[in-house]
Amino acid sequence: MPVAWLLGRKLVRALLTLWFAVTVTFLLLRLLPGDPALALASPNMTAATRASILASYGLDKPLLVQYGLYLGQLLQGNLGTSFTQSVPVTQVLAARLPWTLLLTGASLVLTVLLGIPLGVLAASRRGGLVDRLVQVVGVTGQSVFVPSVAVLLLFAFGVRLGWLPIGGAYDTGVYGIAWYGDVARHLVLPALSLTLVQLGAYVLTVRSTLIDALGQDYTTLAQANGLSPRRVLWRHALRNALLPATTLIGLQLGFLVGGAVLTETVFAYPGIGRGIYEAVTQLDYAVLQGAFLLLAATVVLANMVTDVVYGLLDPRVSAR
Amino acid sequence: MSPVTARLRIAGLAAVGALLAATAACAPQAPPASQGSAGATDATLTVATTTDVVNYNPLVGNSRSDYWVTNLMYPHLLGIDEQGKKTASLASGWGYTTPTKGFYDVRDDFTWSDGQKLTAEDVAWTLNTVKKDKPSGTFYGQLANFTSAKAVSPTRVELELSKPDSSIVEEIGFWGNIVPEHTFSKASSVATFANDGKDGGWVSAGPYKLTDVQVGQSYTMDRVEPYPLVEGGKPGPAKVVFRVFPDVNTEILALQSGEVDVIANALPPAQVDTLSKTNGVTVAQAAGLGYAHLTYNMKKPDLAKLEVRQALSQAVDYGTIRNVVLRNQAVSTGSSPLMPVLKDYYDPKITEYAFDPAAARALMEKAGYQADSSGMFAPTFRMIYSLQDSVTSQWATLVKDSSAKAGIKIELQGLERNTYLAKTDKGDFDIYAGNFAIMDDPATNMTLTYLPGGVINYSYVDDPELNALIQKATVTPSGPEKVALMQQAAQIVHEKVYDNVMYTQNLAFAHSSKWTGFVSQPSELLSIVNPESLASARKTG
Repeated sequence: MPVAWLLGRKLVRALLTLWFAVTVTFLLLRLLPGDPALALASPNMTAATRASILASYGLDKPLLVQYGLYLGQLLQGNLGTSFTQSVPVTQVLAARLPWTLLLTGASLVLTVLLGIPLGVLAASRRGGLVDRLVQVVGVTGQSVFVPSVAVLLLFAFGVRLGWLPIGGAYDTGVYGIAWYGDVARHLVLPALSLTLVQLGAYVLTVRSTLIDALGQDYTTLAQANGLSPRRVLWRHALRNALLPATTLIGLQLGFLVGGAVLTETVFAYPGIGRGIYEAVTQLDYAVLQGAFLLLAATVVLANMVTDVVYGLLDPRVSAR
Repeated sequence: MSPVTARLRIAGLAAVGALLAATAACAPQAPPASQGSAGATDATLTVATTTDVVNYNPLVGNSRSDYWVTNLMYPHLLGIDEQGKKTASLASGWGYTTPTKGFYDVRDDFTWSDGQKLTAEDVAWTLNTVKKDKPSGTFYGQLANFTSAKAVSPTRVELELSKPDSSIVEEIGFWGNIVPEHTFSKASSVATFANDGKDGGWVSAGPYKLTDVQVGQSYTMDRVEPYPLVEGGKPGPAKVVFRVFPDVNTEILALQSGEVDVIANALPPAQVDTLSKTNGVTVAQAAGLGYAHLTYNMKKPDLAKLEVRQALSQAVDYGTIRNVVLRNQAVSTGSSPLMPVLKDYYDPKITEYAFDPAAARALMEKAGYQADSSGMFAPTFRMIYSLQDSVTSQWATLVKDSSAKAGIKIELQGLERNTYLAKTDKGDFDIYAGNFAIMDDPATNMTLTYLPGGVINYSYVDDPELNALIQKATVTPSGPEKVALMQQAAQIVHEKVYDNVMYTQNLAFAHSSKWTGFVSQPSELLSIVNPESLASARKTG
């Protein structure tokens, strides 16, 4: 099957997914109890003021008309204007996106860097104490709620020990090279919170697929050829065992993005997640719609990239 | 090299390349050093807040942080003292020349930070433009009886009113920020003007001016000189930085660790004692200007009966609520909307409803209800409150429990804030539990709270006698006659239980003991981060 056809099909599927996400977000927001005018204005406003506020954001129109206008706006690349900030939604999101990318990117890298060796360690010592310990840690990590881990870390390292800052992305009054160090210091606890809760999935996946790979004929052959156990493990078995882990990276991105919303809220980290939290409290539909679209697009794009990378890694996939 | 190895390398290189490109394109940018370096001898005051600044336009902004930050740039005509009396600020004089004509005398020593004089023209333009463009903030709500304003000289503004209103001059003066005509007039409408500093930065006539915004993180403001309302014209701290924290508990931790110098939000009652005893932390007190209350929805047949409302009012243990939930940091209003803080209006003859479950039970029986075998009466009243309001959430449970002692069933419905506002607005409740932050002018507030059609008339009261008193008070000039009218109105509200005003919460604000000179003003909106206070702050030692 031609590569262009495959990519085209994936693109159409991605666009349909985005349309679905846009529609569901649009409808769900309007199902929320509450009136944006009440969230925006003083409770003392008159009925005329309220009507004027709703009209100014097009919220006085029938739902279908609002939806049609919104889709038309999106097709022109316009995410609208924030109800509360009176600035384009793109401007609101652009100010916050870098921090969310930094947080999720750092967490993803950390997860992979820790998850693969731990999975290998557990698989290579299958049934032993280390294996059991790694499994317990993995399952526990998967079972806990991100904010709970975040609060625990904040309390332990931020409050009790005072080693790390309790919130924000950097301290004011820090400039130059020191600023980057400060950003890294502020990143530790939020990134660690996200990493701990998604690490389990990687560890357990790598462990089980590696155990499976170690039982395959080609590893037996490699061992029979006199290759060292280390070489068999890392060069032969692990390479094949990594394919499911690659898929997991794409799948986990959705989870990562959701976790970032909660983590940013706990640590007052100035990313899109914190922005969503504030937009929800203000019923700023425009910002919420834009933020959810952006997050959906990120996940869809990441999944597409994963598919392509998977195809590169496993020729059988691209051949299908 | 095997094909798989080659593919792995290509994939790895592609991933690393994509990551680097994305990082380069989207990496957070370091702020330029020139925007943040404080002078060697002048200190920076760091203030903790829990919300971002949403809108930099003071005519629109509605959140606490919006108010605190924009207040430092755009002056009010009038201030307020600890007794709730309006005081001079940008206006040195104010009043009425006829019942439908008001005036402000504007100080001549205020200058915008770009060098333009702040004159009566700015004041008149602000008032007229808010009336015309109808921005969503509180200011516009005060202009109902305002027709137009005219600068008759550089220091005097005259107001035309559509009908006599003895409160409007003070209410506009207190609630409205004055904005610079020469920058705001460039916007097509002040209702949609973001004022985000994109066109050459901000212009301020307050003690500080915004110079750097790190969204979701911090707001840096530089000192503006001269600021006429502080001694010597030079505000204390060279810079004021507002930093965003997730909640007040984290703010407290940041204060204790020295990360911030001031907490702008009022402290939760449970924290006041602890922080007062904490080394390096000073707790400042301020009077509250609002009240917490229970309102009974008189559209509901059961609650339309006076005896039922009286029974409910006697089924609340007010003392316990103030002692336990508010840790004695609240004062009784005597179950009257005229709080003790409003010294001129407060009427000590109106006394608090007694907590008397037996009397409440008798009143329910008098209203025609019979208790069942478990001692409970048939109607169940649904009480709504906001879950974001931790104090109300706590005492709501106490109200439920104490009412049960009188055989009255209350079903608690704690709601997310927006849902709570929507239900309140629709009258979808039996009992409303909540609070008003600032009830500074009795005539204005009673108009909104007890007149039919009043936007916060949550009890849906329509009492001709009460209506007449309130309407008369709104056109009566301030003085003993107006006070008497308000006290009569409050007496009716109390007797007929049109509202159950429970207490005014005293406010406590915390700051580092390394700083002194703060001027606390009533209400959380003014707190110790009002312009006069921050401009007066000085570092100790």
